[in-house]
Amino acid sequence: MKNLFKKIIQHYLKLFTKIILWRHKPFIVAVAGSTNKTTTKDYILKFLREKYGEKEVRGNPKSYNTEIGLPLAILYLNSGESSALRWLKILVQAKIRALFGRKFPKKLVLEFGVEEKGDMKYLLEMVRPNVAIVTNIEGSYTYSNSGLEKIFEEMKIMAENIPKDGYILLNADDERVNGLKKHTKAKTFTYGFSENADARAENLKTDAQGQTFGFVFQGKKEFVRIKKYGRTNIYAWMAAKVVKNIL
Amino acid sequence: MSEKIDLSPIKEMELRASRIPGVVSLAQGVPSFDTPETVKSAAIEAIEKGKVAKYSLAPGTLEFREAIAQHLEKENKFFDFEKEVIATAGSIEAITATLLAIIEPGDEVLIPDPTYTSYQSAIKVARGVPVFVPLDEKNHWALDIEKFEKLITPRTRAFLFCNPNNPTGTVFARNQLHALAQLAIKHNLYILSDEVYKDFVFDSGEKLYSLAELRGIRDRLVYIYSFSKAYAMTGWRIAYLATHQDLSARILAVHDALVTCAPVISQFAAQAALEMADKEVMRFRNYFRKRRDLICKRLDKLSHVFEYQKPDSAYFVFPRIKKDILQKIAPDGGSWQFAIELLEKAKVATVPGSAFGPNGENHIRMCFGRSEEDINLAFDRMEKYFNEQGTKINDQ
Repeated sequence: MKNLFKKIIQHYLKLFTKIILWRHKPFIVAVAGSTNKTTTKDYILKFLREKYGEKEVRGNPKSYNTEIGLPLAILYLNSGESSALRWLKILVQAKIRALFGRKFPKKLVLEFGVEEKGDMKYLLEMVRPNVAIVTNIEGSYTYSNSGLEKIFEEMKIMAENIPKDGYILLNADDERVNGLKKHTKAKTFTYGFSENADARAENLKTDAQGQTFGFVFQGKKEFVRIKKYGRTNIYAWMAAKVVKNIL
Repeated sequence: MSEKIDLSPIKEMELRASRIPGVVSLAQGVPSFDTPETVKSAAIEAIEKGKVAKYSLAPGTLEFREAIAQHLEKENKFFDFEKEVIATAGSIEAITATLLAIIEPGDEVLIPDPTYTSYQSAIKVARGVPVFVPLDEKNHWALDIEKFEKLITPRTRAFLFCNPNNPTGTVFARNQLHALAQLAIKHNLYILSDEVYKDFVFDSGEKLYSLAELRGIRDRLVYIYSFSKAYAMTGWRIAYLATHQDLSARILAVHDALVTCAPVISQFAAQAALEMADKEVMRFRNYFRKRRDLICKRLDKLSHVFEYQKPDSAYFVFPRIKKDILQKIAPDGGSWQFAIELLEKAKVATVPGSAFGPNGENHIRMCFGRSEEDINLAFDRMEKYFNEQGTKINDQ
């Protein structure tokens, strides 16, 4: 019963999401990968809002990035959690927004949460990104994990589905992610610490105030300071900067 | 030879209480609530998807650690989730693993007096020597920095404390914490800051200030947080620590040797807690505030027995037993005998203050994490008991 109810909710949310995206046709940036999606999305939001204004750019709130979360993020609605009544109200609101809503941002930055075979296909049936970023494909377990190959196959589907005039940004330091280059017709940019990356970080230093590094992209170099620690934040910053530069 | 480690007096009291039918317990710091539904659902989903049967990476799943780092960022605390965050089997494992990583046998670890009983045991497990730093009861159990510095010796390696403090509910002031940080730099000490009760600050408009916000000491500060209290997850045994990557690597080796990894199901549950259960924490805080006010009101009626300071936070009150009452009820045994008398005669379990350090003697700890019914029942019984002992109830 619970599963049937979930399926009904999922079905209608997907339908309303397709309608709202068809009506407003926003430019969509999708962020996928095992981790670092939220930080990457947040930096992209920051940079794009600086460029296009606060109201024109929206991202997923919280971790709304799966088969139910993503439509909620696009429709700008909260989860009904375990209340059937709240879910029914949400469906009514979703219908009104999808059919009659006038205001909608011009750009969406969306996390794609993919765990199982078929997840990417499902998300792409709803949302067709213009730009995709793959942050990494990493495992959380100590044993050798065939699950990572499964995730690679899902990312491959995304890479194949980005249009020729779209962009795909790949983490150059992740061998699996880098391998996606072969599977896309979109314009590709790689980013990372590797010498071969199109957008590259160098001279990373850490101090009490955070991290500093040199960012090299398209023949230009800039000095960057961020207050957060860890290389993941530098990857996220670089991906966002590339998105800002190419849009 | 290591010093013998006894069962924590809190657990000892709970054990004794469990043998007596009908006891109402205000002893162990367990919230009365169940784990939030969203957290339980996430755990069930993780089981159903086959995610929990195998070891995670020693420091925890990447997704959990990432969620932790993002949560900490909102509190102005910055850590690299890949290298500086470790999911642990409860905060006591985080503390023990840290101590085992940083001290040599015979090294001294300063702890406030009074403070959480299990700190002493954790230090002894690491073959260290706990050294009590008396808190200033007259000044709402504040830290006395001068006393603190006087107790530092060449063997002192660390200061371990909880903020807010258990059992006094004290929130340590920012200037005191800064002074502490300066002393840590001056004397090359580590600081272990256990902030398990940080979500339950009742009166201050400001959020709790944490030493983890002070970037200048991140190489000597170990921040520890448990999900047990804030999310009613004591049975899940899940917490984390965050510290500079060099220190984290050393602690990780000990953590791996002790437990391999934190329970994976609990990592998924705690991740969901961080992502979805903020409202529940606020709900719990509101309940605890009401219960704090209730227990204070009931203590006011026993003003001839106890004097107390209203706690700012956590869910404990730590009243001092009046001298004449203590003499009458426990002439030779102090707070321990007093607590036993309460348990056996009034059927109310509390924790003797001496369990929290010498400065805690003549006090008892009462937990108001328990339900209002339990609090009222416990105080009804205590009022009756003290009445029977020939002490007058002050009805004002």
